[in-house]
Amino acid sequence: QIIVAGNQQRQRRPLQIPSTMESQQEEGLTINTLMKEVQGTLDKFKLEDDNGMADYYSPYANLEKAQVLHEARCFHDPTAVRESPRKCCTVIAQLLHLTNTGQYLNSAEATEVFFGVTKLFMSDDASLRRMVYLFIKDVAETCNPDDVIIVTSSLTKDMTCDVDLYRANALRVLARIVDAAMLGAIERYVKQAVVDSSGQVSSAALVSATHLFEKNAESAAIVKRWIGETTEATQSPNEMVQFHAMQLLYQIKKHDRLGMQKLVTQFSQRNTLKSPLALVLLVRYTAKLLHDEVSEGRLPGTSFQNGSNFSRAGYAFLEASLRHKSEMVVYEAAKAICALPNIEPQELAPAVNVMQLFLSSPKPAVRFAAMKTVSQVAVNHPRMVSKCNEDLEALIADANRSIATLAITTLLKTGSENSVDRLLKQISVFLSEIPDEYKITIVKSLQRLCLTYPAKHRVLVGFLSNFLREEGGFEFKRSIVNSIVSLIKAVPETTESSLLHLCEFIEDCEFTMLSTQILHLLGELGPATAAPARYIRFIYNRVILENSAVRAAAVAALSKFAARCPSLRTSIVTLLKRSLDDEDDETRDRASVAVSVLKGAMEEFPYVPPVEDPEEADAEPVADVPQVGDPAAYVLLQGLPMSFERLDRSIRAYVQAPAAMVSAEQLTLSTLPVVEEHAEPEPVADEVDDMGADSALKAAVTGKEEKEVVDPAAAVYAIPELASLGRVFRSSPATELSEEETEYVVRCVKHVMPDHIILQFKIQNTVEDQRLVNCTVAVEGESECFEVAGEIAAESIKYGETQDAFTVINRNADAPLAPCNFECILRFGVVQVDPKSGEDESEPFDEEYPLEELEIATSDFMAKVAVPDFRQAWENVGNTNEVLEKFALQFKKQEDAVAAVIDFLGMQPCDGTGHIKPGEGGKKPHMLHLSGVFVGGTSVLARAQVAAQGDASGVLLKIAVRSDDATVSRMVADCIR
Amino acid sequence: MSAGSTFPPLLPKVDAILVLDGEGKRLAGKYYGDFMKAASPADGSSTDNAKNAQSVEQLRGSFERQLQSKIGGIAARPDAAEVVTVLGKTAVFCGGSAGQGGQGGGDVRVVHVGPAGESELVLAHLAEGMYEALSHLMGGSTDRNMILDNLELVFLLIDEHCDGGIILETDPHKLASSVLLRDEQESNMGAERGQQQPVQGGGMGMGQGFGMGGDMTIAQALRQAREQIISNLSQQG
Repeated sequence: QIIVAGNQQRQRRPLQIPSTMESQQEEGLTINTLMKEVQGTLDKFKLEDDNGMADYYSPYANLEKAQVLHEARCFHDPTAVRESPRKCCTVIAQLLHLTNTGQYLNSAEATEVFFGVTKLFMSDDASLRRMVYLFIKDVAETCNPDDVIIVTSSLTKDMTCDVDLYRANALRVLARIVDAAMLGAIERYVKQAVVDSSGQVSSAALVSATHLFEKNAESAAIVKRWIGETTEATQSPNEMVQFHAMQLLYQIKKHDRLGMQKLVTQFSQRNTLKSPLALVLLVRYTAKLLHDEVSEGRLPGTSFQNGSNFSRAGYAFLEASLRHKSEMVVYEAAKAICALPNIEPQELAPAVNVMQLFLSSPKPAVRFAAMKTVSQVAVNHPRMVSKCNEDLEALIADANRSIATLAITTLLKTGSENSVDRLLKQISVFLSEIPDEYKITIVKSLQRLCLTYPAKHRVLVGFLSNFLREEGGFEFKRSIVNSIVSLIKAVPETTESSLLHLCEFIEDCEFTMLSTQILHLLGELGPATAAPARYIRFIYNRVILENSAVRAAAVAALSKFAARCPSLRTSIVTLLKRSLDDEDDETRDRASVAVSVLKGAMEEFPYVPPVEDPEEADAEPVADVPQVGDPAAYVLLQGLPMSFERLDRSIRAYVQAPAAMVSAEQLTLSTLPVVEEHAEPEPVADEVDDMGADSALKAAVTGKEEKEVVDPAAAVYAIPELASLGRVFRSSPATELSEEETEYVVRCVKHVMPDHIILQFKIQNTVEDQRLVNCTVAVEGESECFEVAGEIAAESIKYGETQDAFTVINRNADAPLAPCNFECILRFGVVQVDPKSGEDESEPFDEEYPLEELEIATSDFMAKVAVPDFRQAWENVGNTNEVLEKFALQFKKQEDAVAAVIDFLGMQPCDGTGHIKPGEGGKKPHMLHLSGVFVGGTSVLARAQVAAQGDASGVLLKIAVRSDDATVSRMVADCIR
Repeated sequence: MSAGSTFPPLLPKVDAILVLDGEGKRLAGKYYGDFMKAASPADGSSTDNAKNAQSVEQLRGSFERQLQSKIGGIAARPDAAEVVTVLGKTAVFCGGSAGQGGQGGGDVRVVHVGPAGESELVLAHLAEGMYEALSHLMGGSTDRNMILDNLELVFLLIDEHCDGGIILETDPHKLASSVLLRDEQESNMGAERGQQQPVQGGGMGMGQGFGMGGDMTIAQALRQAREQIISNLSQQG
């Protein structure tokens, strides 16, 4: 409603009366005489008074492609072209308008029309010529370039005539269609045009040159020769020419750092640029160069004012631009200063002051721009921004909702803990009036705020829950539910109140997906709370009132409560029995499984209520947990040991291994092949407000990246001799054994089996006149546990081809694993080949080619497998086979050490501990959780504490390894070097 | 927002310039570069051009719908452009009307779409310049029908304003006179030949009038008055 009110306010402003109207009135035309005249005009056009506009026929209304194409034939008629250029103009405009109505010309049609249009060069009519230029530019992209070329001569003629309009336009069209060779032929004219006295021509030439520069390297080389003319053009009195010349000059010089620095310094000191747009460019170039100074390490200190000559002058220029008379330049400079890396607060202050002024500008664009920049500054310098808080609070009422939303999210970042309540009050008024998209942004900010001030969780979660009950679409509701759920994980104290809020939400939730998600969550977390019984009513209500999917989820949640809390079993079984005749199959099945399992469990372990002993009233209440061996707990609570996605991949790998389908071995979850986690890129936390980034667009981007995972072991299974050795446990990523761009490129993949290692050498032949025959890689190393057992040669590798050679290494399982380096030599026969015909020219002669050493380390025997719940898994394994070690590592940075530890062990980081949270690096010890499966199927877990020692002398690593096998634990702990 | 988008582009280009009516329908417009082009290969083999074009049109249509859902109902004064963000792009516009009445500065919006890192002030400068030139060309009345009658001028205006995404000219007066220059010559020629130009709803007459003195003729003023009155009448009725 505020939006509407805002608009009304706008409407109340005086109507924009066209200035010409006013002048007419000044001349003495009263409204009466006007009316009379109007009446006359209306009669003349024979239009009805009221529906006059409806009868009026626009040349562009209801265009049919076929009809327009037919009209376009008149271009071929010389008389028509000469006599009625106006009609031709209209037809061209109609052709251009077709695309607006979605009726595109196909290639054949475009070509035909195009040839028609070329005939129009016959006419000298200026407006028609102008339309012809426009049309050629428009179709130049869709037509065959060979056809387009035919207009070059007409255009070249126009380009050299003396009418500025023709020259400017012909130049712009030519730039679209010429290739580098033709550009060379007309170079002289373009160069002249750059320094033409007419601003229009000069601008056209400069812009065309900028396009040509981007088009291809050959054209760019020609454009580079015009640097003198371009520099001259920067002195032009015409502001747009200055702007275009700056732009082109930058394009030409952008890879020449010193040249750019000189250019920027010259212009910023000489003060010759009058065009605000050109100055905006200059500010951007300066900022870019300052960034480069920092990123390339040429700035010794942190302050730009104490840096090199250039960084001092650059910062001074930006700072001086804050006082320019054009807002555009001022804003650009302020924004550039705010974005400078590692900027000192006192250098930032003048820019923030400017932004603060802009926040109360009457222009929405200025407020928006300032708001956006301020919100970005708030990420790194919340304190600098907090002085703007008052202005920000005023902006919450801004008519432009984007500005208001940004203001709120910024306030949530800069606000202190005790201002939270006041802010929430303001937001609650605001939130009901804005579209869902903005609400989602705010919900995310609130979630972040709660992580910053966990003490405020009660207020914040309550606040979020209130919005669950408001009107809103699915995406909005889901974002709130997700926020609450992630807060439960991050701030466990919120669990109980959040669950109750969610319970109330599902009482009246129209989204099945959210209901089922919440019911599942209740089943997971509810039983562990202090009073699980209070959730039962909410859940059972779903069983009575909801659709089948929700009923099934509710039944599953109920059975989890029963399994976890023996005290509730009797009553829950009664409730579950009512679902035994549910009309939905899934619900009925879940209910009957739960009832029968629970009944069995209740007979086996009847629930004994704790004895009420008045004397021991203070004693610890007996924990309401299932006893050891309770079948209900086992059936209903144990999750699948792996995710569905992994199960799927694992079964695929199983089927692929030869003889799997005929093996007598029983297929169980534990005998399935171990599959490794994908190396997934860590989701980057959106620190900066992301209201612009649309989720749909993101989904489209990420959706593409899903690709089929190919099992690298397939190459091994394809060879019968190797396949008979058994199933591959894991395959390492390929390691390079040769330098890039050598004659023979060799890469090695290690396929690990329980008793063997198969080395797959991918050999590529890059020598054109050679064919390699009988290629093997000889592997030699001194080790007790590894022994080379056999080789399979690649028979023939032609030029450009890649073939595989295999070497099998036996592993002596009795000897302890120790890392071993192998020397590798590529042995092969060379046959000289005629590169043209491909025929052999000589007998093979033997050659050897040394390769780099290959290492087989303990980590090769470790599969990266994540566990769903590390803490629980850690407890389950127990400390019987635990190995504890301490190391001092020579790493300067904590994050390097963490990455190295992961790499040494070859295990999967869990719970997001693989990376140090930004900002926390070096401050406190980092706890790393790792899991993996060792060859033979032993699960291994490791906890590693990485602590920086402060004085850059290295980091201290404490590691604990647990597994079911003491020797495995020891081996893993020894991986650290 | 990725780090890249916070840096303003060093070669500023607009992604699209659109002239939309009150309901968000595109009256005229131009998309530049790769913005809103289908994922299929850009060079496009000639046979499936039409099919390609269809999917491009769909993409643009959906973009314009999202744009309209945000700008609809906001009226921006000609000298104070409004800003929204759509699909990670910054869209700055002038014109439009708040309600459904079609009053105020006319119901047409001139929208400039730029990359997220582009300065809103620069885009606003462009949008304001083009809007003023447009309203100048349309004789002060930028309603939907007026634009549709004079699409030719709008096409030319966009072309004089921006070349392949690079801004050519922002000064409203220079823009208007570049667009109208041809009419000056033509109206003279027309007079010489004694030809009567077909006046369709005054569209071309408009341009001619401009050409004569750069000021408005009586006929134009009348046409404008007529339209204002008609719209008033139809609202009352």
